[in-house]
Amino acid sequence: MKKNILIIGGGPAGMEAAANLDRLGYNVILIEKDKQLGGHLAKWDRLFPDGVSAKKTLDALTAELSGVKCFTETNIQSINVLDKSYNAILSNGITVLADAVLMASGFDLFKAEKKEEYGYGIYDGVMTNADLEKAFREKTLPSKAPKAIGFVHCVGSRDEKAGNPACSKVCCATAVKQACEIKEVYPDADVYCFYMDLRMFGRHYEDLYLKAQKEYGIRFIRGRVSEVAETMDNRLLVKAEDTLSSKPLKVTLDMLVLMAGMRPSEAGRSVGRQLNLTTEDDGFFSSSDNMLAIQKSKLPGFFYAGACTGAKTLPDTLHEARSAALEIDRYVKDNFKEQ
Amino acid sequence: MTNILSVTLQAVTPEGIIDRYPNSYNHFVLPFVIGISFILVYLLIGLVRVLYHLSGEDRIKLLKSLFNPKTALKNLKDIFCDCLLHTKIWKRKPLLGYMHSAIAFGWFMLIVLGHLEVYIFAPRHLEGISEGSLYYPIFYRFFIWINPAHETLRGTVFFFLMDFFLLYVLSGIALAMFKRVRSIALGMRHTTKPSLADRVALYSLWAIFPLRLLAEGFTADLSGGSFLTKPVNWLFKAFFGNELNFMPTWWAYSICLGLFFLAMPFSRYMHILTEPVLILFRNAGLKVRKPRKGFAEAEIYACSSCGLCIDACPMNTQKKNLKYSSVYFIRFLRRHNNKKINEIAEKCLMCGKCAALCPVGVNSPDIRRVQRETINNSVGYDYSYLKDYSDKAAAELSDKPRKSGKVLYFAGCMTHLTPMIIKSVEKVLKAADVEFEFMDKDSGICCGRPLMLAGKTEAARKTIEANKKIIEQSGCSILLLSCPICLKVFKEEYNLENIEILHYTQYIDRLAKEGKLILEKKEGSLVYHDPCELGRGCGIYDEPRNVLSGIGELKKAQKERDESICCGYSLGSLTLDEKDRSKIAESSVANLMANAPDKIITACPMCYKAIRSKADVPVLDFAEIISSSISGLKQNS
Amino acid sequence: MIDFGFTVSPSSRINLDEVDKKSFVALSKIEPDVVKCMACGSCSASCTVSQFQPTSVRKAILSLQNGQISQAMDFLKHCMLCGKCTMVCPRGINTRHLIISIQKIYGK
Repeated sequence: MKKNILIIGGGPAGMEAAANLDRLGYNVILIEKDKQLGGHLAKWDRLFPDGVSAKKTLDALTAELSGVKCFTETNIQSINVLDKSYNAILSNGITVLADAVLMASGFDLFKAEKKEEYGYGIYDGVMTNADLEKAFREKTLPSKAPKAIGFVHCVGSRDEKAGNPACSKVCCATAVKQACEIKEVYPDADVYCFYMDLRMFGRHYEDLYLKAQKEYGIRFIRGRVSEVAETMDNRLLVKAEDTLSSKPLKVTLDMLVLMAGMRPSEAGRSVGRQLNLTTEDDGFFSSSDNMLAIQKSKLPGFFYAGACTGAKTLPDTLHEARSAALEIDRYVKDNFKEQ
Repeated sequence: MTNILSVTLQAVTPEGIIDRYPNSYNHFVLPFVIGISFILVYLLIGLVRVLYHLSGEDRIKLLKSLFNPKTALKNLKDIFCDCLLHTKIWKRKPLLGYMHSAIAFGWFMLIVLGHLEVYIFAPRHLEGISEGSLYYPIFYRFFIWINPAHETLRGTVFFFLMDFFLLYVLSGIALAMFKRVRSIALGMRHTTKPSLADRVALYSLWAIFPLRLLAEGFTADLSGGSFLTKPVNWLFKAFFGNELNFMPTWWAYSICLGLFFLAMPFSRYMHILTEPVLILFRNAGLKVRKPRKGFAEAEIYACSSCGLCIDACPMNTQKKNLKYSSVYFIRFLRRHNNKKINEIAEKCLMCGKCAALCPVGVNSPDIRRVQRETINNSVGYDYSYLKDYSDKAAAELSDKPRKSGKVLYFAGCMTHLTPMIIKSVEKVLKAADVEFEFMDKDSGICCGRPLMLAGKTEAARKTIEANKKIIEQSGCSILLLSCPICLKVFKEEYNLENIEILHYTQYIDRLAKEGKLILEKKEGSLVYHDPCELGRGCGIYDEPRNVLSGIGELKKAQKERDESICCGYSLGSLTLDEKDRSKIAESSVANLMANAPDKIITACPMCYKAIRSKADVPVLDFAEIISSSISGLKQNS
Repeated sequence: MIDFGFTVSPSSRINLDEVDKKSFVALSKIEPDVVKCMACGSCSASCTVSQFQPTSVRKAILSLQNGQISQAMDFLKHCMLCGKCTMVCPRGINTRHLIISIQKIYGK
């Protein structure tokens, strides 16, 4: 008899793990709280560093899921540990008896309105990274070209007051990517990136940075934006310190994009609370070993993949999903030999 | 032995001798006399010291207040209500209130009635020290036995009253003993650890009244008694026969009284005698000027170490912060422990809740501020640039037309970090057709309150001066503020003549009442958070609630008004770190969520930011929710 | 004074070997947050005073670490302790207490 594997979260991590477990011969049940699979990837337009289409990437992931039972718009209503398995009741009324569970709940974007001083939800010109991607996808950017545009890195990341002292890892590269893209749409606009440290750590990321400087003329300002006010003509007055020249700086912008960081998924955490899964100070789940067994939880048969254990890039997430599939395969083979 | 014999002999003399001791003296009164003399002298010296340390101006103020009939009446009322009846404690914790009033008022009545009894039945003994005036009213039942004059209704009434108030006190003492064992039952979570002097005073206080009952019980058949002492007398006779060995109990009673008075100055019970002095000072309008002398000294000794402030302190969410409560601050001030004094003084949030709840009304945040002054006032600064700024800003504002009723809006430093508040205030003012000028649109200078809170009073005066100039030049009649921190200092330190200083909650309440602002009731349930500086600081509790109850269903927080819990981000604390503040913010939010409201409303930029970072429900500023409740105005402009 | 036709100006290079670290250690004992700064510049950007005078907690900390005490004091002497920098600091540094502590330790 095929063993049941329950995967919580139908983003890239859940999808990739599901496809691999399916190929390994398991009966995979994938649940997703949204209408469609893909998580944040489904809401994105293009991906750094090369600008590949998010839709194409998502389609490729979806193509592998033919043998997987996917339930969208479905939550975990309750879950508990049985002797050697997990009993989950889903919001669609189905009960799943799973021999192993993979948590791939990913992240929520930081609620930018919590950084009240940036004026998200108060001023029209202030938007988040996700809003901008949406506008790119749906081509709803204003036709009246803005004169000046700013990107604020680290919104709700590296910020103890916002409850997230950690770096969200992907925002620097995303901001540089988006800055280039917006410059393509509005070639005459001045584009500024306000950063604290520019963390371009991955392959080709540095190329992206160089391209932003050389080809797009993006101006990088090392300083965190502290305040946004409105001018008489409804433009945005942004204040920061140019820490490199050691001078307070102000600039008037028409559009300000806030790079909202990654927070642990609330839906994932509520499942975690039912099973008493531990989280670290940052709110993300704690692995049984951060070096050797990042996919393992403290519960036997319960695994993690992707951003539910901390901020990750898309390739990182996919690697982790594959290795989680292997870990699950090994766990099932070790624990259910006799059958 | 001979003593007892002589007593017995005298007792049987036929003609019912009233005065058993013609020389008005027996050795057992000595401990009491020593104790009471000590405390009276101590009190006198203390009073002279405190008065000496008051500034000349304060002394005149005090003197004037004593002869002002209005204040004199208030003094009497306050002393009666606070020192004897303890109405403040009654209001919050009735059982604890009963305990205090039983001991204080009961004892007071025993003393008064004792004196009255002596005055009526043996007036000779009030004539002077040699006649025993110091102790006669206290030991009346020992000295005077069946007095024929007592065999009237008057006498019986006295016997009854004395027994009644003794029982009243005893019930209080019993409660006090119970409280020692279980303070939670009386509504206190934390209480203080008593010192040695406290213990001596406490145990002797506990013993005084039971011993009085025993002593008077022993003699009740000879000296008279009522429903309490008579049965006790009967019981004794049943058990011990007819032996009149009462002398030891009178000794014990006197010794306990003496001990209590001797230990009093070094114990928390000094508050009993200091509180009336504090009330006189407070009603005279005196202010704390030095952290250890004058008015402050009266406050320090008026502290009863009850520990109510430990429960009140918002820092008590973490056990490690219990040691920063006001009661310990005052204890260290009393003991001159400077290191601890400064540590505690700097930690405090200055939210004022301890002062609001203090049964004696000790304003320890004020003492802390003055203590900070001793350290920080001398810290250097250079504000020479303020003059240029205020000249320029004043010139700009005075160019504009001067009209009566002109409103000048000062947002303040912090409000510039919460643009929603500024935007909402502007929107509300526009909707009400109020013409206004924005004093610090491009950010102004600080109001001075943060400097005052840090003890840099001299520096604060400079910023106050600069702002004052701008405001006076603007020709406004109303100064509108959105930050309660500013509000407090503008009200107390600016002395702006002919300019009304209003917080926007007050102004919006007024606009709504005048019909200039029509609001719709379309909100669900709301809870209002009282910012410290607005509520306890400026006494503004009702105005925001008036308006909010008109736009939604106002729910109660678990603790509110003067008991509201600080959001944790108060500028008052100098040393509290981010983690501790964050914990306080969590407890503040939990307090607000007690009745599961849909939204939390506050009226301070600091509270707004702090509560927003912790709450799961929407947190709105007062002006923000009002601006979206204005009838006939398009939303989301 | 003999004119040699040239003057010797002190080196503008920061010499960490000559920095007196004792006071900084003393400072970090009273306000441990002093070592938490990551130089983002939020404090100077939001500073109420910085529109009038160069004022910055960030630069003051940096100057102290580099041994430029008087420069550090200059960056703080105009401060009005309004607390905006505390509110915006992403590392949650208690800047108000830090400023008072620096002025107390180095201000003599």
